[in-house]
Amino acid sequence: MTPAADIPLKQPAVSATASDAEQYERALIDASTRVPVLMFYASAMVWLVIGTLLAGFVSFKLHSPDWLSDVSFLTWGRLRPVHMNIMVYGWASMAGMGTAIWLMARLCRTTLRHPLLLVTGAWFWNIGVAIGITGILMGYSTGYQWLEFPPYAALILSIAYALIISWAVLMFRFRRGEQIYITQWYLLGAFLWFPWLYAAAQVMLFVVPVQGVMQTAVGWWYANNLMFLWLGAIALGTVYYMIPKVIGRPVYSYHLATIGFWTYALFSSWTGMQRLVDGPFPAWMITASIAATILTMIPVATVGLNHHMTMQGYFPVMRYSPTLRFTVFGAMSYTVFSIVGLLISLRSAARYFHFSEATIAYSHLGLYAFFTMIMFGSMYYIVPRLVGREWRYATLIKLHFWASAYGIGLMSLMLMAGGLAQGASQNDPSLPFIESVQSVLPYLRGRTLAALLLTASHFIFAYHFGLMLFGLGRTSTVPTFLNPVEAEGSEAHL
Amino acid sequence: MKGLVPLFIGLFGTFTFSWVGLTVIPNLQIGALNPQMDEEGTDIYPMPQSGMVDRGRRIYAANGCIYCHSQQVRPDYAGADIDRKWGQRRSAPRDYVFDSPVQLGKKRMGPDLANIGRRGGAEEEKSPAPGGSPAQSPIPGGQPAAANQLPAGSVPTPGASPTQSATAAAASPSPAASASPNPGGEPAMYSEAWHHKHLYAPRSMNPDTRDSNMPAYQFLYETRRINGHRSAAALQLNGADAPPDGWEVVPTFDAQCLVAYLMSRDQSHPLKEVKGGAAPAASPAASPAAQPQKK
Repeated sequence: MTPAADIPLKQPAVSATASDAEQYERALIDASTRVPVLMFYASAMVWLVIGTLLAGFVSFKLHSPDWLSDVSFLTWGRLRPVHMNIMVYGWASMAGMGTAIWLMARLCRTTLRHPLLLVTGAWFWNIGVAIGITGILMGYSTGYQWLEFPPYAALILSIAYALIISWAVLMFRFRRGEQIYITQWYLLGAFLWFPWLYAAAQVMLFVVPVQGVMQTAVGWWYANNLMFLWLGAIALGTVYYMIPKVIGRPVYSYHLATIGFWTYALFSSWTGMQRLVDGPFPAWMITASIAATILTMIPVATVGLNHHMTMQGYFPVMRYSPTLRFTVFGAMSYTVFSIVGLLISLRSAARYFHFSEATIAYSHLGLYAFFTMIMFGSMYYIVPRLVGREWRYATLIKLHFWASAYGIGLMSLMLMAGGLAQGASQNDPSLPFIESVQSVLPYLRGRTLAALLLTASHFIFAYHFGLMLFGLGRTSTVPTFLNPVEAEGSEAHL
Repeated sequence: MKGLVPLFIGLFGTFTFSWVGLTVIPNLQIGALNPQMDEEGTDIYPMPQSGMVDRGRRIYAANGCIYCHSQQVRPDYAGADIDRKWGQRRSAPRDYVFDSPVQLGKKRMGPDLANIGRRGGAEEEKSPAPGGSPAQSPIPGGQPAAANQLPAGSVPTPGASPTQSATAAAASPSPAASASPNPGGEPAMYSEAWHHKHLYAPRSMNPDTRDSNMPAYQFLYETRRINGHRSAAALQLNGADAPPDGWEVVPTFDAQCLVAYLMSRDQSHPLKEVKGGAAPAASPAASPAAQPQKK
């Protein structure tokens, strides 16, 4: 049985196909994951709000540098890594782990054993992130991208992770059914790749530091693979679950999914060095990564095609389902993210985009438009099943979606266009350098506007999530639709 | 997919492939470089750096300078780095063997700093400050176009003749501030005093930095009452940045280390593997394409 095939839109309460026994089993599984998953989600939401506020600070300070600049821990160069690390380790990793735990329990068809392990792990993880950002603010940043946390914070994160992964092993031991679904490949991959990655980077940078420029290469190797093998894998796995589940239709092709998965693992893990283009490195490293970036078009095409064919004829469901709307946006952004990544890494284009704001646009496309939107979608699906309430206001969901979509769209456009202007002036030696800064500043002001939109969106979502957490959602048998009047059989008002 | 074992092997295999390919093999190739020296074992480059420089590097990392400043000079076919006088040759792995953490950088909201220490010294040597300051504090972009075309149109030759360098320096406004203190009391460009003043008040310097969006690092400086006589290390500040009468602004030890680190950034020494300031290997993006596009 494909776990995807059997659930129509109005699951869980009114199910046409799932038997009562399966309904009951699912309810049991959901109940067993309630505390740890909500714990991860709630922590992630807190970090998201903090990280968003910091993003606004960082964005604003970039074009208004004198604002709050004479306090050491509010200086731009410390707030920026704090923002990045909160988003990567606080928000993205915790939301991703929450979703992954729930998906794994559902797909292994087993109740979650030893939830206390996970709760402890989540606490340790929060403590690790908090200590890490305190370290950066105090001036102990290590200076490596996405690894700015001082090593002692990394140690705490590792302990937390050990607790979390030991649960995953337990879960797999008790799984029922022989078939391992696509989502599980990605999740298992993510859960195994992350500790290997993290350990390899920590050892090569802090325990037995490699020499000279190899440190930068290891840093980029890590940051890039953290995006693809950890966050990206979780996000793609989630899409493979959510789309079939919401529209009640199996995945179009297992073969495509297999090709997509293995080419993704193989090629995207080899990208990253193109960020060092023309730097002091052997040229083959950079060329290999550029080639790998071109090859990542294979997983992009197969995964995209697979989702598209699954969705074929069901696109109107996006009008009603919050989950589907966010998830499909994220899945489409994966394509955009990859194509932008390809464009800015080709050597001819890299001349204009390297060292410019375009790299920031690329990071945000990956972390936000792709990963975060998919996480939002999964939270809209999972949280009601954990708290036994439905989302209270369809309007808030719509506001959240549009503010996020326009926010990230505006931000990416601003940074790409600004990056092009900046790179072009940097490459024209007849212009003084300051011209390149001047040429990008208007775009950075536009980016601050986008940051405001995203801030609004996150506050809306945090408020809505808070209502759910405190049991203030709707008690209803029908999920919250975005356009209830059009949705068949739904309530006349929400 | 059947069974956990093939899945696990595949996951492990792809990861190991990437780890070995992108970190282990490059590490074998460039991970154990020695400084270069001549036949007599002298003229060693690069040299291990002093404790102050090391501490300065940590301050540089801790305050996130890397997010806006790179420390790498790209070859002439790949950007205008050499035309911008950020270095006379491209950077090579050997330039960084004693740097830890390496601060190569990924964005240039500010200029490249790979040779910032060298540029200060070079200015002092090269320009004997003729003609007085008014001619030497140009308005950005205000230089005649004819002078600007010189660095852009000519392939920068290694160890360019002093005359050409001087012309080029005059053409690009950034390094062209006065070498001797001008009437406004500005220290020589990229000297230690200049760095201190620039870190304390980045927009106070000359027309070129007036539009800079660099944050001030005033927390690295101490404002204290003048006790007896004014300290020699005190910053020469003017206008709104100046402390009240009877007070002075002096660098903390961290600021001194940071400036010592900046002054140590110098890749001007030739390297055998970098042929005369040009790219070592033939590249598909050959030099004709290297000329920056004209606006």
